[in-house]
Amino acid sequence: MPTVTYLEAIRQGLWEEMERDPAVFCIGEDIGIYGGAFKVTDGFIHHFGAERVIDTPIAESAIVGAAFGAALTGMRPVVEFQFIDFIVCAFNQITNMLAKSHYRWGAPAPVVLRGPCGGNVHGGPFHSQNPEMYFVHTPGLKVVAPGTAYDAKGLIKSAVRDNNPVIFLEHKYLYRRIKEELPEEEYTVPLGKARVARGGGDLSIITYAAMLHVALEAAEILAKEGIDVEVLDLRTLAPLDREAIAATVRKTSRAIILHEDTKTGGIAGEVTAVIHEECFDDLDGPVVRIAALDTPVPFSPPLEEVFLPKVADVVREARRLKTY
Amino acid sequence: MRNAQAIVDLRLEKPSFRVVEVVRDGEVRYEVRGKLDAPVPPIRESKYLSKQQCVEIYRWMLLNRRMEQALENLYKQGQVVGGVYFGLGQEACSCASAYALRKEDWLAPMIRNQGSLLVKGFPARDIMMQYMARAGSPTKGRDASSHFGDIKERNVCAPISMLGDLIPVLAGVALGARMQGRNIAVMTYIGDGGQSTGVFHEGLNFAAVQKLGLVLIVENNLWAYSTPTEMQFAVEDLATRAPGYGVPGVIVDGTDACQVYDAAHEACERARRGEGPTLIEAKMMRMKGHAIHDAAGYVPRELFEFWRKRDPIARFEKYLLEKKWLTPAENKKLIDDVEKELEADREAAVASPMPKPETAATGVYCEEGCHEIKLKYGPVKVAQRKDEGKPKESEAAVHLR
Repeated sequence: MPTVTYLEAIRQGLWEEMERDPAVFCIGEDIGIYGGAFKVTDGFIHHFGAERVIDTPIAESAIVGAAFGAALTGMRPVVEFQFIDFIVCAFNQITNMLAKSHYRWGAPAPVVLRGPCGGNVHGGPFHSQNPEMYFVHTPGLKVVAPGTAYDAKGLIKSAVRDNNPVIFLEHKYLYRRIKEELPEEEYTVPLGKARVARGGGDLSIITYAAMLHVALEAAEILAKEGIDVEVLDLRTLAPLDREAIAATVRKTSRAIILHEDTKTGGIAGEVTAVIHEECFDDLDGPVVRIAALDTPVPFSPPLEEVFLPKVADVVREARRLKTY
Repeated sequence: MRNAQAIVDLRLEKPSFRVVEVVRDGEVRYEVRGKLDAPVPPIRESKYLSKQQCVEIYRWMLLNRRMEQALENLYKQGQVVGGVYFGLGQEACSCASAYALRKEDWLAPMIRNQGSLLVKGFPARDIMMQYMARAGSPTKGRDASSHFGDIKERNVCAPISMLGDLIPVLAGVALGARMQGRNIAVMTYIGDGGQSTGVFHEGLNFAAVQKLGLVLIVENNLWAYSTPTEMQFAVEDLATRAPGYGVPGVIVDGTDACQVYDAAHEACERARRGEGPTLIEAKMMRMKGHAIHDAAGYVPRELFEFWRKRDPIARFEKYLLEKKWLTPAENKKLIDDVEKELEADREAAVASPMPKPETAATGVYCEEGCHEIKLKYGPVKVAQRKDEGKPKESEAAVHLR
């Protein structure tokens, strides 16, 4: 089986979907001849033609609006945001036009809104953000955040086939840092389903995206100390896989929620509430949140280092939680 | 080749007045400066409309107005949930513009374009049920007023309350159709207020760059809720926005159905030839407040008098009678038929139940089996492949690693 990067997995997924279904097309800034700021669509325009790989003016509301309009005629647009930070420029189109259209007037909006999120690459306040909770809070949207190359490919294919607007968050730190052997044969990964990334019995770390790898690294360290950690990769943040969250907490009775998004109003609060609603009686200790500082993402490496959750934070909190 | 465009002005009268904010007797208010005693202009002869088509447009305008009167009555009877929005004085703009669309063309109305929805094939009872929040309404009670659409038959996109966002959406409809091998006309509206939004610029610019068949009707009705145009923009004519985007601009008297139709028809034909968008500024006045609660006390009374004399329906009626395209007897029958139709629709609307409470939680997502998404205009043109048909792993430099 060939080994491919997280970025390459997304490229392959998009490519295969465009081959499979002529209704799928890409639209965004600099995605054509240039191939995108991160080269996700490099070569697409030569293969699929300029009609289906459309470079646009710098106008995110127009891009998302036009994608929705094309979807009304049966197309399946895939919008690229050059950096996901710029998705807020299209906030009204996404949260009011797309998210509400099926509920209000029965018009599905099969639009994928994808782009690079996340920090640890010294991108500063406007090239490092994790905007998931703006959209998790909006009924009608799906929000997906893969943490592995396998999932990135399988989830982007499911996102393209879904009849709802899907925010697809690609963690740019993972783009070329992680590699994986992917099956030769076609596969998809369903939206809305979490995955146990590592089995364990003492404590659950519930996480997603780049923090999945921080959790797995912490779990290895903790295993040497005799703390057997289960890692649940949420994969989809909306709709949230409540059953999987409840199942891991029922199994281990201790939960840490780890994310790179800032703490206040982050999804850790929502997952904590789900745990209380579904399996409060199973808990042996308080639910612990580990997240980024409640600040903008700082630029300078020593500042960003403090901003982001680290393996040492997870190890420390896991040891503390194990004492309950 | 970049586009250089001149403004075409179809008006037979160019009213010249300004609304100014003045302090008088310790109060701040709006006053009119300029000439308000000009004679009422005639209806311009249409280059395209037949006698029968003129009568049909007249009937739509009448239905539009009488339906809004029926809505006002339903409101007074306590049947309406929320407010009522009127297009009084703007019926020619709504009805004659939508009349230029074919079945395969798309429309996205704004709150006052209830007449456009009638022309595009929705019965008046649908609009009545929307206002009464009934289960039988097109949105099953989930949204109000003109906030509904139909992607299957009538090709209408539902608006949202935020202004300007429909412009790129309709451009995208034209883009989708073009990928399926068809150039269609897509029509939407924006007010003198809504044209101030950023997405107006984004959408019109995108449509212009992509040469999409957008017919953008800028309804300059002088009042953005309570704010006069003098406080909304600093140009004389909003049509002058058009050349800035490389798009033709047309000015029409929005109270003259023939002018509105001719401009809309030519814009639609241009769209169908794949030549890109057109901006049409329709000048008129909103003859009521923003919504039923608003008595429009901020509007100088003489402006109402000026525009009342230019009532689009009374003038069109007189025009048709004078041309003998409509006899008084035919006119009476037409009016009676409209009233009968509306009465039947009103009864059907009132008879529709309220939605069942348990339906509130359903339909947030389009679930499996809920909708089959199909191409509307035909297969997508698939490009010739210029490589071996596999993605190549990219080693190019990227923005951040």
